[in-house]
Amino acid sequence: MHALNWVIVVGWLAYVVVHGIRRSTGTKELSGYLQANRSLPWWAVGLSVMATQLSAVTMIGTTGQGATDGMRFVQFYFGLPLAMVILGVTLVPFLHGSGVYTAYEFLERRFDAKTRSLTAFLFLVSRGMSCGTIIAAPAVVFSAIFGWSIAWSVAIIGVPAVLYTMVGGVQAVTWVDVKQMILIVTAIVAVTITLLVQIPVSPSDALHIAGATGRLRVFDFSFSLTNTYTFWSGMIGGTFLMLSYFGTDQSQVQRYLAANSVDEARSSLLISAYWKIPLQAMVLLIGVLVFVFYQFERPPLLYNPAHERLVRQAQPAAYGALESRYAVDVGARDAAARAVAEARDHGSDAGAASAMQVYRARQAGVDTVRTEALALAERVTGQPSRDVNYIIPRYVLDHLPIGLAGLFIAAVIAAAMNAISGELNSLSTATVIDFYRRWVRREAPDEHFLIVSRVATGVWGVFACVVATYAVNLGSLIEVVNRFGSFFYGSILGVFLLAMMPGSRALGAFLGLLAGMAAVGAVNFGAPSVSFLWHNVIGAVTVVIVGTLVSAAGRLAAVASEQHGAPRRP
Amino acid sequence: MSDDQTGSRRFRRTLASVMLVQIVTLVVLWLLQRHYTS
Repeated sequence: MHALNWVIVVGWLAYVVVHGIRRSTGTKELSGYLQANRSLPWWAVGLSVMATQLSAVTMIGTTGQGATDGMRFVQFYFGLPLAMVILGVTLVPFLHGSGVYTAYEFLERRFDAKTRSLTAFLFLVSRGMSCGTIIAAPAVVFSAIFGWSIAWSVAIIGVPAVLYTMVGGVQAVTWVDVKQMILIVTAIVAVTITLLVQIPVSPSDALHIAGATGRLRVFDFSFSLTNTYTFWSGMIGGTFLMLSYFGTDQSQVQRYLAANSVDEARSSLLISAYWKIPLQAMVLLIGVLVFVFYQFERPPLLYNPAHERLVRQAQPAAYGALESRYAVDVGARDAAARAVAEARDHGSDAGAASAMQVYRARQAGVDTVRTEALALAERVTGQPSRDVNYIIPRYVLDHLPIGLAGLFIAAVIAAAMNAISGELNSLSTATVIDFYRRWVRREAPDEHFLIVSRVATGVWGVFACVVATYAVNLGSLIEVVNRFGSFFYGSILGVFLLAMMPGSRALGAFLGLLAGMAAVGAVNFGAPSVSFLWHNVIGAVTVVIVGTLVSAAGRLAAVASEQHGAPRRP
Repeated sequence: MSDDQTGSRRFRRTLASVMLVQIVTLVVLWLLQRHYTS
């Protein structure tokens, strides 16, 4: 990469750390460190909420998914605006009004300590591990592209974020998130414009070529429990997932608890409702445009440069033969794509339709050679060779102008830092408030809890970096952790729904939570093809039904014992 | 006018515009699919 690009990346990292630490003023007490003394404006909180869920995977994985699979992934977010509105009028007033530090603290006030501790524990386990995977995904890509060691890649992403989160708490996290969101959106818009300039046909022809391969197919109205990317999975399963994530996950709840009123808190959530679908569509469109760009420019046979080197060394003859076929097929596809554009420019519908048919056949030929190359890479490396995460980084480094490549790489690192800083901050809060202050030391000066919070942030940061460093070799374990997360996400939402229902009791909430997780576990093992989006629906509904029944049974038993003159339990 | 009333008015106004933006976005995506996917 050109020196100017490195100057931009390093300059941005330095700016972020300095800015984050400068924002630590006013964090000399626990409330300032964990909740910014509830002083943050709604728009800053809203941008921070968006930044926390926009990770590096969005910048490189989702764009790559746009290039290989098209726009249909956007359906995943269709439930988000509805979920934000529901949360704005239900859970947010409850949580903000109760003056709690964590969402789980609210559950002890409403139910009991064991429900609070179990939900907080589940949050710590899943978020602690996922924090590591958030760093690992871009670190693996940077390692392959730039030839860095994994440890060095992890350090570049992890150390600045841990540093400013540890010193500045939620204030630093929020204000750095605001700046980084500006950088990320600037990079997305700049890359989109550059792609439109670089593609040698008109934007309309480019979209027709993308559409011919199905990459502009957004809506799938079929109803399927096994397909994550359908309209109904997004609207129903997605709504429950977003309700769980934004309503009960401390990494999100902590952001809007820092707003200075209930209305500011729910207005901040609506920023995500505003921008998430358009932003996600734009991210996917970048991938689609990169796909079109590579119709006229020879793409790599394998996008992962590390795999490419290994395959070339181990199987030079077989890889050479594939490269020769690839060059011929890509050349033929280039000619076919240009013929589509020319036929359309001449206004010949029959000519355009026939050119489109030829183009599709050429595209199928290119896809066949790519599939064979990926299978060869898998045999040689012994690793899964799906290289979707490498498509955009290769395009950025090979074809973006000097300066813009540095801007995009800085935006990828910024996205990773946003996600982990928000999570570290919330992990520290749950550790200190829900465990240390609840079970270890209930009374102590504010400074003591502040020091413990900073230490907890640092410890979680080191834990996340260690998990990220070894995540490359922990592929199956990471999958287990992700599946484990989907076991209880909907169930925790169910507990919060029960908390808002007047007749619910502590035993009902606790048994409902266990039943919800068991139901999701049974579906997961009994019907593993059911999409994880539906796990949230199953978990939440089971908890509400079981919790309501147990609570009703408890009330009946209490009435019966009162009628028989037994002393009433407190 | 109190802060509460101002906040509630802003929330309702934002809510209406959120719904409008979502409808416009979905219509644009649907037109994109309909026009370009053959």
